[in-house]
Amino acid sequence: MEKKSKKKAEVVLKKEISRRDFIKTTALGAAGLSLSSWAPVPFTYGAQPPIKVGMLNEYTVFATEYGYWLGKVGRAAIAKINAEGGIAGRKLELHEYDTKANPAWSASMCRKMILEDKVDLIMGSIHSGVHLACFPLIKQYKIPLFSGGSMTYEFTGKDSLSLHGGYYIRNHSHARSQAVAAWKFGFDNLGKKWTFLNADYAWGHSLAREFGSRVRAAGGKTQDIFAPPTTQDFIPFLQKVNPDTEVLFTAFLGSSGLGVLRQTVEVGLHKRLQRFTVICTTEGIGQEVVGKESIGAYYIEYHPRHLDQLPKELHPYEIAYRKAGGVDKDGKEVGNPKVTIAGSHMYSMWIYPYMIKLGIEQSGWKDSKKNMDLIKAICSLKLKAGPWCPVGDLVMREEDHQGFNDFYISRVEPDLKLKILEIIPKEKSMYEPETDLRKIV
Amino acid sequence: MISNLAVAILNGIVWGLIMALIALGLNMIFGLLHIINMAHGALYMLGAVVAWYVIELTGNFWIGLMVAPLCVGFIGLIIERGLIRTIEDKPIITIICTFGLMLAIQQLVLMIFGGSPRRISPPVAYRFPLFELQYPAMRIMIALISIAMMIGLWIFLRKTKYGLWMRAVVQDREMAVALGIPVTKVYMWTFVLGSALAAFSGVLAAPIVSVEFMMGREVLIMAFIIVIVGGMGNLEGSVIAAIMISLIQGVGALFVPPSIATVFALAFMIIVLLFRPQGLFGE
Repeated sequence: MEKKSKKKAEVVLKKEISRRDFIKTTALGAAGLSLSSWAPVPFTYGAQPPIKVGMLNEYTVFATEYGYWLGKVGRAAIAKINAEGGIAGRKLELHEYDTKANPAWSASMCRKMILEDKVDLIMGSIHSGVHLACFPLIKQYKIPLFSGGSMTYEFTGKDSLSLHGGYYIRNHSHARSQAVAAWKFGFDNLGKKWTFLNADYAWGHSLAREFGSRVRAAGGKTQDIFAPPTTQDFIPFLQKVNPDTEVLFTAFLGSSGLGVLRQTVEVGLHKRLQRFTVICTTEGIGQEVVGKESIGAYYIEYHPRHLDQLPKELHPYEIAYRKAGGVDKDGKEVGNPKVTIAGSHMYSMWIYPYMIKLGIEQSGWKDSKKNMDLIKAICSLKLKAGPWCPVGDLVMREEDHQGFNDFYISRVEPDLKLKILEIIPKEKSMYEPETDLRKIV
Repeated sequence: MISNLAVAILNGIVWGLIMALIALGLNMIFGLLHIINMAHGALYMLGAVVAWYVIELTGNFWIGLMVAPLCVGFIGLIIERGLIRTIEDKPIITIICTFGLMLAIQQLVLMIFGGSPRRISPPVAYRFPLFELQYPAMRIMIALISIAMMIGLWIFLRKTKYGLWMRAVVQDREMAVALGIPVTKVYMWTFVLGSALAAFSGVLAAPIVSVEFMMGREVLIMAFIIVIVGGMGNLEGSVIAAIMISLIQGVGALFVPPSIATVFALAFMIIVLLFRPQGLFGE
């Protein structure tokens, strides 16, 4: 047996290669090589180190309806990137932690991710307090932080540099862009006399300030009422609403968001005023949970909950995105129709991995030494609607690292569906940047 | 202004009665077992969650109101026999233990029930006019049910053999043992009753608030304040303290920002503790 194989090897070695054989073999090899570049590249694990992505979300304690979906969509996006060959041949490796909606805890998790897990970048969380607590760390260690859904506009405002050194990126809306986009719809269509009944913390105050200043500047009247963020009985607050109020703007999260809408109807206020709110109030909560009390309420959405309310041209991308996230056409979890999506927030986590991919490819980033180049590349992206950008065109602004996409005004119909009444193009949500982070070297 | 004041007073009394029912269970457990039950809010939440499942199945609020306290009472029985009994003489350990239990129940509900709030529809949708506003009849009904429960509890404690045993154990445990009262059984049933009361109030409150895994957090703090102000172990004191605190908050919110009105309630507690450390009606 051994003799036989030795003989065969000698024959092969001694065989003369003709020119025809050479050309045939080379052509086949070249064709094979070029074809292989079209097919998904399986990872040769260990060949190149993975790109480590940290993910922080609210999985327990508070705002879990957001955390659940941001986490799910973030994981799906990373899995898709890896299935398509990773970024520059490198696999994305996920390191995931719960913020417990606790800034101090989140800061320690952020430190753990940076120092122990050695993550290259971090994404997630809708909690402004969590981001604020992480800022000193990302600034010190120069790690990019991609916001999951925090609404504090100041984070991309005039103090950006001192807050986070330019290492914070946000591809979604916030209190100011929401107000710039939607105040006029409310003012023109719902009424000139507004009462804000908002949660007594930064987000609620931000919305009252941003919308209120524009309403007053246009000659309208406003009244501010702030209630503790976890208020359950709203009657003491609803009875303070001015009798001549035409628009009641509310901003609460979770069960309080649910409570304020329902109790407005319980005391009969809905008969004499229009209710206007941001979708954050009922994200992750189905309208059937709010009940028929939500009929007639106006919402500002950042990405429609129902597939058929989206512009037709976005449908193919949206269907693929929903399939990857396990979401049906009505914004419910596939196989679990009691669970509603946080559709106006979770898209951020779908788009970030793709933005990171483009940023790395454009900047030639390999490690943290070129983090600022990576951030600059990401923040100059002008994304076109596509499988990775189902929300339509999304524009990042280099000056303040802020992203803009279209807004939607919807109303709850008798069948409890959020029907889109008006699409507000992203250009109408843009405001003058308050900082210029392009100067950072 | 008068109309606002009238609404604030009515709502303060209604909300106070609901809070009183929650605080009663907490106070019973403290009065007899000397256990500060940090898991009381979680049992209140568990009652609402169980009722939500029952109502989903049956479509009937009243069945949920009956079944949930029984289920949570049974869970209370397991907790008392499996956990509390082994540590009942160690107050610090019981606080830590029931705190851990609270976290465990919350996380378990989060896993099974999910993080999104759910709704229990009010069984009575009628609203009656009250000055410029309307007032939901459901709230009045909840207040009346709370009053009925409190009267029932009073009769149970004052007119039944078991109630007599409970009061005897509170007064002098050793003497009660010497007289042949089954003290361990009394302990067990008191914990079961306290847990069932928490669940009952959770179901009653659910049509006003929403059902979610953290719903017991806010309520627990207020229930503790009520128990402290009313006097630890004094059930009548809890009812009066609950109504007083709710009125201070509700009426105060008419004149000052609501956060300040909450500070008024806390200031009231501090003043009471300064002059009557045993609470308004404590001995």
